[in-house]
Amino acid sequence: MSTDAIYAQLTDIFHDVFDDESIQVRPELTADDVDEWDSLSHIRLVLAIEKKFGLKFSAAEVGRLKNVGEFVGLIQSKSA
Amino acid sequence: MTTAASAQVLALGELAPGRQAVVEFSVTALQMRQFAELSGDFNPLHTDDAFARAKGFDGVVVYGALIVAKVSQLIGMQLPGRDSVWASVALEFRKPLHVDQVAQVEGVVTEVSASTGMVVLKLAVRAAGKLLAKGTAEVVLGR
Repeated sequence: MSTDAIYAQLTDIFHDVFDDESIQVRPELTADDVDEWDSLSHIRLVLAIEKKFGLKFSAAEVGRLKNVGEFVGLIQSKSA
Repeated sequence: MTTAASAQVLALGELAPGRQAVVEFSVTALQMRQFAELSGDFNPLHTDDAFARAKGFDGVVVYGALIVAKVSQLIGMQLPGRDSVWASVALEFRKPLHVDQVAQVEGVVTEVSASTGMVVLKLAVRAAGKLLAKGTAEVVLGR
């Protein structure tokens, strides 16, 4: 799957999880940029991404992520 | 009175699919009156025995929220217990529960997410072997 296709899928997920169609999903996006991005919505986000891409992450893999770009890298590495 | 000290403490690694717990309970007439006051729901289906019988029930119908309260006991005290926080619950009521009728609420782990600590429980409430309600709950286990 191309990087653009992953961002397109993530955009749908972000809009659904945060109920906000205005979120622009870009590599440097972090929890600090989205008001509703708290611990529970973070869990919803990770679970939705796992389901959409058919992947399972470890707590350590998710815990290391610093922004959306790194999450995309993780998705790509797990999909390879 | 049950205290917080008696709550089960389970780690994520102990929560494999298939693990289950059961809480047996019945709801008294006093608890029904107390819940009516607490909730402000004085619907006669829950407070007036004659009215409930006229509607075809075998007496007043226990508030669905009191059944949910026993799900809270199941999750908060047993499965997973102390270190858990409820994230969602969905319960479908199939048959009424009546005052002083003994019932069991059962939770079975169906999914465990290693990445997030989210645990999904399948719920079933039964009385005399009949299914009264079923549903699911999502619980986040603190680390």
